Amino acid sequence: MRQLRIDMGKCDAGRTCQHECEEACAIKVFKLDSPEHAALHIRELADGTGQAILCDQCGDCVVVCPADALRRNKMGAVVLDKELCVGCYTCIGFCEKGIFERNPEWLVPFKCISCGICVKACPHAALEIVDVPQPEYRII
Amino acid sequence: MSSHTTETDYPKFQRCEVDFTQRTEYLDGLEAMKAAHKVLKEWTFKPSLPQQGYTNRTLYLNVGTLEVKEKAVTQQMKDMFIGGRGFGMWYLWNAITPKTKWNDPENEIIITPGPISGITQYPGSGKSLVVALSPETEIPIDSNVGGYFGPLLKFSGYDSLEIQGKAEQDLIVFIDGQKGLLRIEEAPAEPLDSHVLAEILTRMYAENDADRVNISVVSSGAAAEHSLIGMLNFSWFDKRRGCIRLKQAGRGGIGTIFRNKKIKALVIRGPEVKGDMNHPVDQETIAKTGIKLHQELRSNDPVQCLMRRNGTAHIIEIMDAYDLLPTHNFQYGSHPEVHKIASYVWDQRCTQRTTDGCWYGCSMACAKGADGVVLQTGPYKGHRVTVDGPEYENAAGLGSNCGVFDPEFLLELNFYCDTYGICTITYGTLCAFVMECYQRGILNKERTGGLEMTWGNALDDLAMMHQMAQGEGFGKIAGLGVKRMKALFIANGWGDAALINDIGMENKGLEYSQYMSKESLAQQGGYALTNKGPQHDEAWLIFMDMVNKQLPTFEDKAEALYYFPLWRTWFGLYGWCKLPWNDVAPSDNAKTAEPTKIPEHVQNYLDIVSAMTGKKITSEDMLRQSARVYNFQRIFNIRMGKGLRLHDHAPYRSQGPVTKEEYESRIERYEKELRDQVGVDPTTMSLEEKMAATRKYRIDRYEKLVDAVYTRRGWTLDGVPTQARIQELGLDIFPELVEIVKAHGG
Amino acid sequence: MNTILVNGDPLEWKDGMTVRDVLTLKRFTFPMLVITVNDNIIDRKRYDTALIPNDASVKVVHLMSGG
Ligand code: SF4
Ligand code: SF4
Ligand code: SF4
Ligand code: SF4
Repeated sequence: MRQLRIDMGKCDAGRTCQHECEEACAIKVFKLDSPEHAALHIRELADGTGQAILCDQCGDCVVVCPADALRRNKMGAVVLDKELCVGCYTCIGFCEKGIFERNPEWLVPFKCISCGICVKACPHAALEIVDVPQPEYRII
Repeated sequence: MSSHTTETDYPKFQRCEVDFTQRTEYLDGLEAMKAAHKVLKEWTFKPSLPQQGYTNRTLYLNVGTLEVKEKAVTQQMKDMFIGGRGFGMWYLWNAITPKTKWNDPENEIIITPGPISGITQYPGSGKSLVVALSPETEIPIDSNVGGYFGPLLKFSGYDSLEIQGKAEQDLIVFIDGQKGLLRIEEAPAEPLDSHVLAEILTRMYAENDADRVNISVVSSGAAAEHSLIGMLNFSWFDKRRGCIRLKQAGRGGIGTIFRNKKIKALVIRGPEVKGDMNHPVDQETIAKTGIKLHQELRSNDPVQCLMRRNGTAHIIEIMDAYDLLPTHNFQYGSHPEVHKIASYVWDQRCTQRTTDGCWYGCSMACAKGADGVVLQTGPYKGHRVTVDGPEYENAAGLGSNCGVFDPEFLLELNFYCDTYGICTITYGTLCAFVMECYQRGILNKERTGGLEMTWGNALDDLAMMHQMAQGEGFGKIAGLGVKRMKALFIANGWGDAALINDIGMENKGLEYSQYMSKESLAQQGGYALTNKGPQHDEAWLIFMDMVNKQLPTFEDKAEALYYFPLWRTWFGLYGWCKLPWNDVAPSDNAKTAEPTKIPEHVQNYLDIVSAMTGKKITSEDMLRQSARVYNFQRIFNIRMGKGLRLHDHAPYRSQGPVTKEEYESRIERYEKELRDQVGVDPTTMSLEEKMAATRKYRIDRYEKLVDAVYTRRGWTLDGVPTQARIQELGLDIFPELVEIVKAHGG
Repeated sequence: MNTILVNGDPLEWKDGMTVRDVLTLKRFTFPMLVITVNDNIIDRKRYDTALIPNDASVKVVHLMSGG
């Protein structure tokens, strides 16, 4: 299963970069010019470190979706079928990492699909896509 | 109190790894059934979506004359009745007269979602209310039900569906909200039982596999036809299981009316559901409020009620521990075998890999289902089925109240109630009554035609249910309900009339639901001072009253019996489910001024309604909206010749110990009461004297409670809303209401 | 006198008595509780450790649920 990982030793949380990861994700994946609508977030913390909020494709949202709008694709990443989605946002509320998100302009929410566009955009090579075993189905 | 059993006291149940996609198929012959349909009427309409929660029109259908028409929703209807139960009561009021009987053609079945029904973001927003003149109580009944029918009706273009008339041949009414087409079809071939019928019709009317989720079926079953306790099933298609699921509009015999009208099923095909179809003024607030509750459920449900795993069954062992689980026809409050039907059994027996909301977005997901149940009796013997439930009410009513503690039989009883179209709560209470009559010699094998109705005899219990479905034998008598059985047994001279009346757990003709009110005066009122009859959906006050001791005075109890019934009525006006209100609570709920009201959740509801309609409302507005419908319904009861103090009388089993054994089972409590409250010395009294003194004291207290509650509600001491009260509520714009209350001294 | 009041009813007090002990003695197994000891709210996480002083007034408010 494809999973996005970050090395916080390399990521400087925007001190010398421009959050290129978030920008690339928002523009190229979601066609939106606003990095707050990216499917990953890197926050600068007061103590000089950063905090990354990433989707690890755990699949919890797949379990709770009442419309079966969330499925794993061939690479194991959880993807949303906009046609099936009923906009209930159960996925958002049940994502422990807080990275299933929505844009008030859209009815359907959005999430990371482990596509790797952000990986290419990062000037410090802090991000990578790794291949990990798909986790067990979790009953929530 | 009983010795409480916990999960650790018993060996862990093996999680049964059943394949939840496998069950007996019923699709053979579908094409032939379809070919046998004869179209009696076709009617077209322009589908539309609600704006700010309302489509502003309703659909009227007469299955006798085949008349179909639209009615406009007036501003007055919205102002006075809001929607849901309010619209239902209003239409029923206009459809019938004081002389109407339940089986007259003019009686209606009204199905109305409310203005928020169909929201997908906030858990518990998909309910419909069903209103009709009840065969059991002969007054209006209302029932709150899940399933997709209501929201899909709304998204097809109608705020309510009103069904009047009586057909001669079995009919199916098909409403296609995608195409704007309504068809009334003669449908002679399909079987009646819901688990088969809804499955067949879902496939028959869906245009392709993906379309199945857009279909919902309302149906009943074989036993609804031969009893007064018929229920309606509302379906939805469960994608993960690949089958239909059912939710029940149970109480009061609406399924009986449905079959009496010769309706086999109502089928709706709605448009594909999206997240904003009610078109609220402020979608953003609804989205944010919904996400907040999803998050709360995710973090708090696992440490609070485990609703997502067990549904309402989570309280079975709790009720037992508090001596509140109705056992052997409400004689006792606990049983040593309760661990066999406790929530941890259902946790294992129900499938946990499914989503189980009865409408989209309900992350409380209490509509659990047990898969791979292989039936042991009846016409479906050997079939492998999915059973919806068991909910608490089913496990208590069909289980402990009848002494049945075998989980597989409990599932089977639950299954047959559902598919036969009868109410599990009603059946549980009436069967418990039959069993107690059997225990006390009021019934015997000869009188039951061979059924051995001993406590816990699940096989004969099921046999009685199968008879009910066949319309034969003692099952047919049982299907009349407790009130009519009492009259019959007394008329036959089968036992002491006073005893029969004391133990028959009905009020207004409706059977009690499954809580023990015996030691909670407030709950005795919560049951018997209801509009429709003793269902716990008006006020569940046992903990507040009996355990927390928060309601020490009559005035305190009266206040609770003023507030909670109005609050609970409000759910039915808008189309909400009660469970997400208080089966999960915010982490900081304890710090609020009135934790039992869950203030943050109350605010959520007010916020959503304000966001839907664009009109900001407060909790005072809420009480006023409910009070209008509540008092309207009370006056409606009076109009039908009921609704007075004498109809709020409660059976003594609900108030105190009827028998010596009951008295002795709680002797400490009763003697303490005699000493401390009554002021007599029990050591100088015989058992009979003590029981009589207890009875006198308790009935006297109940009457005092009734006085206090009526006063708080703005009613006369005969239970009639006063003119001042109806003026205050603005109900005096309906002159007939004024006349009725005047004529009754209000 | 070694007594406390639990929802107004007397219960024998013992040295070292915790909120959990009271719940066990009263068989209060319901999960949705609001507990105060002398009007101070006790968080669920402290049930095992919060000590109850002699003479205390303990309120164990059960929220409603079910049905
Ligand atoms: S991941 Fe790269 S681009 Fe994104 S914040 Fe860190 S350093 Fe900047
Ligand atoms: S969005 Fe959240 S719940 Fe869904 S896979 Fe990613 S981390 Fe898991
Ligand atoms: S918002 Fe869409 S994807 Fe998320 S749980 Fe609801 S239906 Fe599924
Ligand atoms: S992997 Fe793709 S979808 Fe996920 S955060 Fe990066 S760019 Fe966005």
